[in-house]
Amino acid sequence: MALFAEMRRRNVFKVAFVYLFGAALVYWLSVVVQTQLGLPWWTSRLIALLLCVGFPAALIFAWVYEITPSGLKKAIDVDQTQSIVFKTGQKLNAALAVVIVLGTVAMVADRLLPELAVVEPPPPPAPVFDAPASARVPPEIASFTLANGLRVIVWPDHDIPNVALYLFVRAGGRNEVPGITGLSHFFEHMMFNGTATRAPGEFDEVMEAAGGANNAYTTNDVTVYTDWFPRSALETVFELEADRFENLAFVPEVVETERGVVYSERRTRVDNDNTGQLYEQMMATAYVAHPYQFPVIGWPSDIEAWTLGDLESYFRTYYAPNNCTLVVAGDVTAEEIHSLATDTFGAIPAQAPPPPVRTVEPPQTGMRRVTVEAPAQTPLLHVAFHAGRTADPDSLPTDLLLNILVGGDSSRLHRLLVEEEQLAISVGGFRGDSFDPGLVYLYLTLPPGADPSTVEARLFDALASVADDGVTEAELAKARNMMLAEFWRGMATINGKASALGDFEVFHGDYARLFDRAADIDAITGVQLRDVAGRVFRRHNATVGVFRPSADDGEAP
Amino acid sequence: MSRWLRCGGWLALLLAGTATAQGVTLPPAERFTLENGTDVVLVEQHEVPLVGLRAMLAGGASADPDGKEGLASLFAGLLEKGAGDRDAAAFAEAVGAVGGRLSADAGREAITISGEFLARDAGLAIDLLADMLRRPRLDAEEFAKLRERRRSFILAAKDSDPGDLVPLYANAFVFGDHPYGNPVSGSEASLAAIAHADVRRYHANAVGGDRLLIVLAGDFDPAEMRARLTAAFADWRPAAEPAAAVSPPQAPAGGRVLLVDKPGATQTYFWIGNVGVARGYPGQADLDIANTLFGGRFTSLLNTELRVKSGLTYGARSVLVQPRQPGTVAISSFTRTDATTEAIDMALDVLGRFRDGGVDAAMIDSARSYVLGQFPTDFETAAQLAAQFAQLAFFGLDDATVNEYADAVGSVDAGSAARVIDAVYPSREELVFVLLGDAASIRESVEKYGAVTEMPITAPQFRPPEER
Repeated sequence: MALFAEMRRRNVFKVAFVYLFGAALVYWLSVVVQTQLGLPWWTSRLIALLLCVGFPAALIFAWVYEITPSGLKKAIDVDQTQSIVFKTGQKLNAALAVVIVLGTVAMVADRLLPELAVVEPPPPPAPVFDAPASARVPPEIASFTLANGLRVIVWPDHDIPNVALYLFVRAGGRNEVPGITGLSHFFEHMMFNGTATRAPGEFDEVMEAAGGANNAYTTNDVTVYTDWFPRSALETVFELEADRFENLAFVPEVVETERGVVYSERRTRVDNDNTGQLYEQMMATAYVAHPYQFPVIGWPSDIEAWTLGDLESYFRTYYAPNNCTLVVAGDVTAEEIHSLATDTFGAIPAQAPPPPVRTVEPPQTGMRRVTVEAPAQTPLLHVAFHAGRTADPDSLPTDLLLNILVGGDSSRLHRLLVEEEQLAISVGGFRGDSFDPGLVYLYLTLPPGADPSTVEARLFDALASVADDGVTEAELAKARNMMLAEFWRGMATINGKASALGDFEVFHGDYARLFDRAADIDAITGVQLRDVAGRVFRRHNATVGVFRPSADDGEAP
Repeated sequence: MSRWLRCGGWLALLLAGTATAQGVTLPPAERFTLENGTDVVLVEQHEVPLVGLRAMLAGGASADPDGKEGLASLFAGLLEKGAGDRDAAAFAEAVGAVGGRLSADAGREAITISGEFLARDAGLAIDLLADMLRRPRLDAEEFAKLRERRRSFILAAKDSDPGDLVPLYANAFVFGDHPYGNPVSGSEASLAAIAHADVRRYHANAVGGDRLLIVLAGDFDPAEMRARLTAAFADWRPAAEPAAAVSPPQAPAGGRVLLVDKPGATQTYFWIGNVGVARGYPGQADLDIANTLFGGRFTSLLNTELRVKSGLTYGARSVLVQPRQPGTVAISSFTRTDATTEAIDMALDVLGRFRDGGVDAAMIDSARSYVLGQFPTDFETAAQLAAQFAQLAFFGLDDATVNEYADAVGSVDAGSAARVIDAVYPSREELVFVLLGDAASIRESVEKYGAVTEMPITAPQFRPPEER
């Protein structure tokens, strides 16, 4: 009995009560916090375990120690007459009362007012979206620009529970100079190879484990990062993308490994592909001043030589939010993308705008020729003409003209050169999107043994007849229908939507123009096509490239 | 220049329609058979005014006569070259004038016709399809032109896209005389042996209503479409001959090497594998997870070692081909000539570790998310839906293959995946090697993989001469 009396004197029972009620309160709070913050399931279990372990420890502590005015002392060392255990006991009574009241209030609040259990952050101010520049823009599309200059466009589409994300960086081959050709493309590879917070490879591991897939591409004008993922990965993807834009790191060994990967890509796309070889030579011939003359993959000597310093200065200059456009299409809302973009990309500081590309390609004053010879069986013929920028009014009529010339089996050049005269086994053509004046490019694969000069003559005759006589009404109507159908097929997927919005925003200057496309196509006249043909398809404006099969020893016959 | 060549091979095996967070439920379909045996599937989808069309004609390149490989493919190509009242030019014009698409291609086991039209032109699409199948012109001059162009395409690929040809050499080497060894588009030699009379005979013998499956998906009225299809096809004759069943192939012995010599090539393309499994494989979900991990995505074991860690290649992957009978399972990649054996040894090492239980629960969870996260994107458009329903119907698979796929993927565990890996992926000793590159530089170093058979890339066929 004396033991019980002494335990009471030393406040062991009061400490036990305070501890038990306090522990119950702490455990309940841990469950609430775990649920609200999405902490792992074992968080509250761990806390309960610690509290259980702490209980005997607290009792022993209360028995062994006593709080005195001069601090904590062992109870047996305290003179009974000087003891203040009674005062401590009164404080413990008060503490017990407070814990019980708090516990009761919490339990009642939890039952009746669960929403009060956790303090909600104040709602962010309602996002402000820009007004679209065309009345044809679907109302669900929203766009905005963050304070740091990042432009964001959102197209909610809930058909499938997936999202397509395109991030356009205004940096490409045109921003390069001799010595660093191919750096934009190499940089694209390095964007997957580690940040200050993530090891090389982690970006892909996290993305794929969350159900996402990605890719990226580099052109003469832009570098574009693409992600396709289930809605559930939305936050992960934004976090990953913003992290690499903010914290990219360069590990020297990884730079060397990736150099090997890019060289392998070059061997595949250029060195072991005659079409790729000829294209590279064509660009280097058609442009004598403007950087479009450089191959996007880079000259071999530059692939071998670029340095860590080149990469770092490139990152600082071009990978700034004010030099980028982000497009999201799919199972999202504009409000949540606004909030996510602000939370992730919003903290990245703006940079001074990159230096402009000053060099303007001077007008061409005579036909240029280039020849590639290598052991092979099929000759190739490429012909390119200087034309305008994507944003120029001529670009749409040029596309219609190309459709009439090489768009499918009923096109003029296919009918003439492939079917009727069998001078070629295939013919194609394109006008690439470009910030600066680009090319209208035609490429033909010839049958083994064909004489490229014969085919070239027939090709130029056919182009001259378009410039002289224009196209027929039926050809124009067909080209309109084919391009309209192509446009709508592109709009049938979230990937097509994201890609098209980005292309129009970046190359045409406003995504809203995408929705004028159908009307624009209808408005093009045959006279416009003839005029464009007359301006573009001039001999003095042409670069002609021939791939000529040589004997097996690599020497021309 | 893109970051990597995406591979669609394994994804194409996944089937699915309306997607939920963890799965896909196919939209309802109306299925019926016309009097003459033609199977029809109609799937309504009214979101955009487009109609996707997919027709499949059982047969395909597997039934090509010996020495005339490429016959079904030439026949398919000629279907676009004039039919009914339209010659080749008028036929192309009719499709292009309305902004449509319509093409015919042969595969191993079927000729497939794919089309996409604006909804208002759905009637025209059916008329063109009926003309193609029932009244193709098979014009002699068009035949001669197309045959010559196909021959030139093979030469052009040998020049510029040698990697595309590697599977053709591999099929010939692995399957030998079995029909799956046939090059679908033929070889220079076999195309030369096909006569105009052969394609005419093909139309009479191997083409008819009893071999046909038609799938339409998109924005149309099903009752009206049923009437239109019945009028266009119900009275079409059957093929004179029944479609030949293909027997299961024998897996050849491993430790054999086919070296295709392309002098001057600066890189070696390699294919390492053997006979795999058929469509409808019972452990498909396990196999999809396993192949995703082995070589089906960017962070796969193969791509991680051969590209990410070592920089030996731009891409390395594993490819499953699953026709009616067991197809192939293979590692596929390329590397610079002087790194040929280094890259191949590394790939073999990855395969060894993969087979020795290198797949754990965390990896399976990651692959599961990836497979389930990506597959709804194959079912967005009417054309995609038509293609998926056609695959199901052609291979005799029911809707559960799709609707219960997420559950099947969900129940994959380390044990079930290990069993499938052991059953499907060949061991080191069972592997057949097909290499295309500069033989003079690699001839001796690749002898360690087995007995080497060598042939020049200029050979007019894909089968090595002594294998015939």
